[in-house]
Amino acid sequence: MNAIYLKLRLQLDALLCKNALLRDYYQALNQQLSLPVSQMPFMAFDLEMTGLDSQQDQILSIGIVPIIAGELHLAKAKHLLVQIEGSVGNSAVIHGIVDDQLTHAVDIEQALQWFLEQTKGHILVAHHAPLDLCFLKAGYLRWLKQEVKLIAVDTMALEKKRLLRKHDVIQEGSLRLDACRSRYNLPVYAAHNAAVDALACGELLLAQMAAIAGKDELVLTDLLA
Amino acid sequence: MDASELQPVTDFIKGLVPFGTLSDLTLERCCKSLSIGYYSKASGFVPLDPAHPQLYIVRSGAFEVRDKNGELLDRLGEGDYFGFPSLLSGEDASNRVAILEDGLVYHLPPDMFDLLRLESREFDRFFNRAFAKRLRHQGRFKAKDLTTTSRITSLMSRTPLTIDLNTSVAEASRLMRKARVSSVLVIDNNKLVGILTDKDLRNRVLAENLNGDLPVHQAMTCNPVVIESNSLVFEAMLSMSAHNIHHLPVLDNGQATGIVTSTDILRGQSSQPLLLIGEIERQNDIASLIQVSKQIPLLLQNLISADARAEEIGRVLTSVTDALTRRLIVLNQQILGEAPMAFCWLAFGSQGRQDQAACSDQDNGLLLAHEPDDAAAGYFEALSRAVCKGLDECGYVYCPGDIMAQNPKWRMSLQRWQQVFDKWVNTPEPKALMHASIFFDMRSVYGPKSLFDSLQDSVLSKTKDNDIFLAGLTGNSLTSTPPLGFFRKFVLERDGSEVKGIDLKHKGNALINDIARVYALSAGIKEVNTAKRIRALMEQNIINRKDALNLADAHEFIAHMRLSNQGLQYTQSLPITNYLMPQSVSSLIRHQLRDAFKVVHDGQVGLKLKMMRNF
Repeated sequence: MNAIYLKLRLQLDALLCKNALLRDYYQALNQQLSLPVSQMPFMAFDLEMTGLDSQQDQILSIGIVPIIAGELHLAKAKHLLVQIEGSVGNSAVIHGIVDDQLTHAVDIEQALQWFLEQTKGHILVAHHAPLDLCFLKAGYLRWLKQEVKLIAVDTMALEKKRLLRKHDVIQEGSLRLDACRSRYNLPVYAAHNAAVDALACGELLLAQMAAIAGKDELVLTDLLA
Repeated sequence: MDASELQPVTDFIKGLVPFGTLSDLTLERCCKSLSIGYYSKASGFVPLDPAHPQLYIVRSGAFEVRDKNGELLDRLGEGDYFGFPSLLSGEDASNRVAILEDGLVYHLPPDMFDLLRLESREFDRFFNRAFAKRLRHQGRFKAKDLTTTSRITSLMSRTPLTIDLNTSVAEASRLMRKARVSSVLVIDNNKLVGILTDKDLRNRVLAENLNGDLPVHQAMTCNPVVIESNSLVFEAMLSMSAHNIHHLPVLDNGQATGIVTSTDILRGQSSQPLLLIGEIERQNDIASLIQVSKQIPLLLQNLISADARAEEIGRVLTSVTDALTRRLIVLNQQILGEAPMAFCWLAFGSQGRQDQAACSDQDNGLLLAHEPDDAAAGYFEALSRAVCKGLDECGYVYCPGDIMAQNPKWRMSLQRWQQVFDKWVNTPEPKALMHASIFFDMRSVYGPKSLFDSLQDSVLSKTKDNDIFLAGLTGNSLTSTPPLGFFRKFVLERDGSEVKGIDLKHKGNALINDIARVYALSAGIKEVNTAKRIRALMEQNIINRKDALNLADAHEFIAHMRLSNQGLQYTQSLPITNYLMPQSVSSLIRHQLRDAFKVVHDGQVGLKLKMMRNF
């Protein structure tokens, strides 16, 4: 996917879009695409969900950490808890979120609006992005009754491409976030929540960009599968 | 969002010295201010932006700090820091940080760094000390070889003999004879056009059967090889050997300002300590020994300009003094005949402690194996007079307090020395002790070790755990305090209306020497060198590790400041003193000096608590 095509598509989306919030979102993103990749603003994010089915399961929390000029900025890292309908059930064991904590949470529509505001003008980054995008798109469709186009760099897809260039077969588990990080000398993070995973994913992208670029200037096409 | 949400970052930062000392609230603010970068080996060096200095905290990977000459200063891994020197000094980074292994680095912005320094003294001190350590590392690497670092201006002759090109060779020879030099620079219209050497006179005049009327320009070497005045000694040596010549005119902006010869270079090298000591040991009469000793100021100057550690300089200079003393004893014994009994030549004070500096005076004594009869007493009087006189002539002036072997008061048998020490130790009278303290820094320079040991052992057995004596000695040492006033401002000494500055010796190093001495005597430690005393005290857990290292660092730092200040005074032809004007050094050095004096203050407080609590 090349940047000119992307820009055209975003312009078109902005033109056709009747929702002011989304129009703003597309236009802001479109402006950033003219920057060199090293200066481009990214937003690493991660969602915690009650399960893997975007039609049935719900978003529990969202973590974001922006990347500005090649550096992650912790001052602007954020973690948002989302109210769910019903109980967390069994998955609370996995995510360490208990019902009690969810009383501080916002409802899903507020969360989706917050996400658009926070990530406006940033290219999204996530590990195994399609899953997270699925949940977001489903959410926006339910809320705005219209499809939202989201552009994201998938660090897992990037890693798969890089690994396949070196090996024929990819070992099971070698694309998990921690496994990917260890190949770039990145530290092991014991704790997991959406913010830490967003940070972990952002750091992985920095390492991948350094590895892909070598001494050359990167282009966005290198990052988008 | 609270800090617990980025727990891995907070946990890591909290585990680092000195961040661990921060309050939870401050730590949280600190972590939130971080940005994170990834540095890959392929890019070679970490780009340090002079417009945005920051503290770099290594999270993973490996890095190397090198100075602008490429010398290795430090290797860094997880939990190490770089970038702090420019944050502290406000100057642009001169070091480069090479990436050895890909890694993640946290960046702490400068305003947060300053805030943490304000909020936590430990934090502030940690980075100041790390900076001082790195500076010292720099010094250590620089001190490797004098010929590779010193410049020819340090040894060239600045008033070269010059003549016009139409002068006769006979006249030139007479001028050279008069000036006792082997070459003359030939000048035409203020420009150097040639050089005439002894060799030219031999090969081009005498061997050719020409007479003395020949004008210089027909015998000289035209367009000689020259060297710029800012060149290194090393480069001069290279050039001489490449062209097989012994004389290099020195040019400054095209003007001949000096000449450097192979003899100058040899002489410069002989002021390196080992060569100098070797030379001392080869001299067979006192006159030539005095001649050799004239190189000692140059040796000191070379050591200072090579930025050697102050402790090393003290040790080197003292070993030269020791060698001179021994040689004087041996040479005088050749005149006076063999000694009638075993004896030791004792060095006290700075020579005893091995921390001599410029213009030290003599402090010595003689220890005799037993009570001398009249003949033996006469022999030792003659010997000690001759040695003290020799030392005086070598530049170690007579002791103003008359603590010298030539004074019969300090030339005694073992038994009488023991009695003298007994009196000091058992009836510690403040005034007597004040003058006696240098005797407790004693070392034998010449003579059988067993004789000296029996004196030292008996002294230490009496001082060890002797509360009354130690309290007296402590009381004395506390009469002088470091030059810090309220709000940690320097207290400057004045002489009438003239501000003299800070007395680095008497208000700094001497106080640390005192502290180390009291502790060492209380524990029966045989070392007399202050750094070695502190090390021994640390090993025996008499001073805790942290305080001991602080004290040793402060001692080194103040001594280093004193030496480099004296080096500056020497090159500016000012009188050599122990006084430093605080405004003549950078604010960072001032800051570190204040810290060092604070350590001295703390050391005194600790000593008082330990030794005087019962009094």
